[in-house]
Amino acid sequence: MTVEEIFAILDEKFGAKRETLDKWGVTAVISASYLHNAVQFLKEGSDIKFEMLVDIAGIDYLTYPNHEGPRFAVSYAFKSVSKPGNRIRLKVLVSEEDLKVPTISDLYANANWYEREVFDQFGVVFEGHPDLRRLLNHVEFVGHPLRKDYPAQKRQWLSTNDYLLPQLEKRLEELGYKVVQRSKEVETNDNEFLEGSIKA
Amino acid sequence: MGNEAEKPNIITSSLDFLVNWGRSNSLWPFPYGTACCAIEFMSTEVGRYDLSRIGSEYVRFTPRQSDVLLVAGTITYKQAPILKRIYEQMAEPRWVIAMGACASSGGFYDSYCTVPGIDHIIPVDVYIGGCPPRPEAFFDAMFDLQKKVKDESFMKQRAESVKEQLEMIKVKTAEAKRDVAACAHEKIVDIKDFMKEKQENLVKKAQFWKE
Repeated sequence: MTVEEIFAILDEKFGAKRETLDKWGVTAVISASYLHNAVQFLKEGSDIKFEMLVDIAGIDYLTYPNHEGPRFAVSYAFKSVSKPGNRIRLKVLVSEEDLKVPTISDLYANANWYEREVFDQFGVVFEGHPDLRRLLNHVEFVGHPLRKDYPAQKRQWLSTNDYLLPQLEKRLEELGYKVVQRSKEVETNDNEFLEGSIKA
Repeated sequence: MGNEAEKPNIITSSLDFLVNWGRSNSLWPFPYGTACCAIEFMSTEVGRYDLSRIGSEYVRFTPRQSDVLLVAGTITYKQAPILKRIYEQMAEPRWVIAMGACASSGGFYDSYCTVPGIDHIIPVDVYIGGCPPRPEAFFDAMFDLQKKVKDESFMKQRAESVKEQLEMIKVKTAEAKRDVAACAHEKIVDIKDFMKEKQENLVKKAQFWKE
């Protein structure tokens, strides 16, 4: 079985159409409702098994020339390890009004952080994701910086350190570890005598 | 025994000169390395260039024991509070070197996530250009910093700090005096009330016994 036949099956079963603009011809556009089943088929069902999720990328078509259709897209790149050299890319078009895509983090463990990154940079919400938080930008960041309408020169200051220990402790406790001593964040206090030497 | 004291072992100098001499020849850097500039700093530190020739013998990885905060690399907004806190943790006297284009001006990262120069966060003494700068440039910066250190006056700074402390002590004493006065006033009022009560009680008792 070749990749072409897999594309035929994808078309038949999940209504995935080949992308004509892709110059390598490995992309199929699929609707969000069929995505999870299609990915499960690619991972487990098909003859060429795509065991490896290479990347999840968000796309903003706002300033793209001659583009019609929804503004955003999420692109999944898969690679076969058992039969090397076979690649498939799935693309889900998402409109700005309904920015929702089902998660595939239950199939691929690395999809967890990829989806967090796409959520962070584009604001695409992955439904069913176990822990959808910002990955790269800091907690006080407002907006999604890789959108084309985000002003590139806009800077946003972070006022305190990102404090990640409570989340870590929670995760460890869920795994069965016992937290002996809870850490406490050091808060700066202006009324103290030993205050910081510089003011913002 | 007798021979040792025959020649006078005295040097006369100003305290400023001595202090600056000591400080400028033992500048211990704290490497805050976040990018490729830190790799250049490593080659500055080791045998071929050997930063310890000018007294920067130790690279201290704690802000408590270092004099020079060496910011080598890109500083993102996520990292800015950490850098500021480390600067505040350093004991005075302290100096800052911004090494490379990124630390000095943000470099080519003209984007939403990069601080456009660490002088938005902390005061900088010496900037080094280059991406990354060569070890020679780093030495140049260290020489500049040494010159700057030698220009500073320890006694003047000390006089200023003593003046500040005096003023603070005065303010605190005034506050404490005010507090004590208020406290004393309250106590006097309390005692007066107490005495009044006692008197009333006595009068009551006397009346009772009279009856």
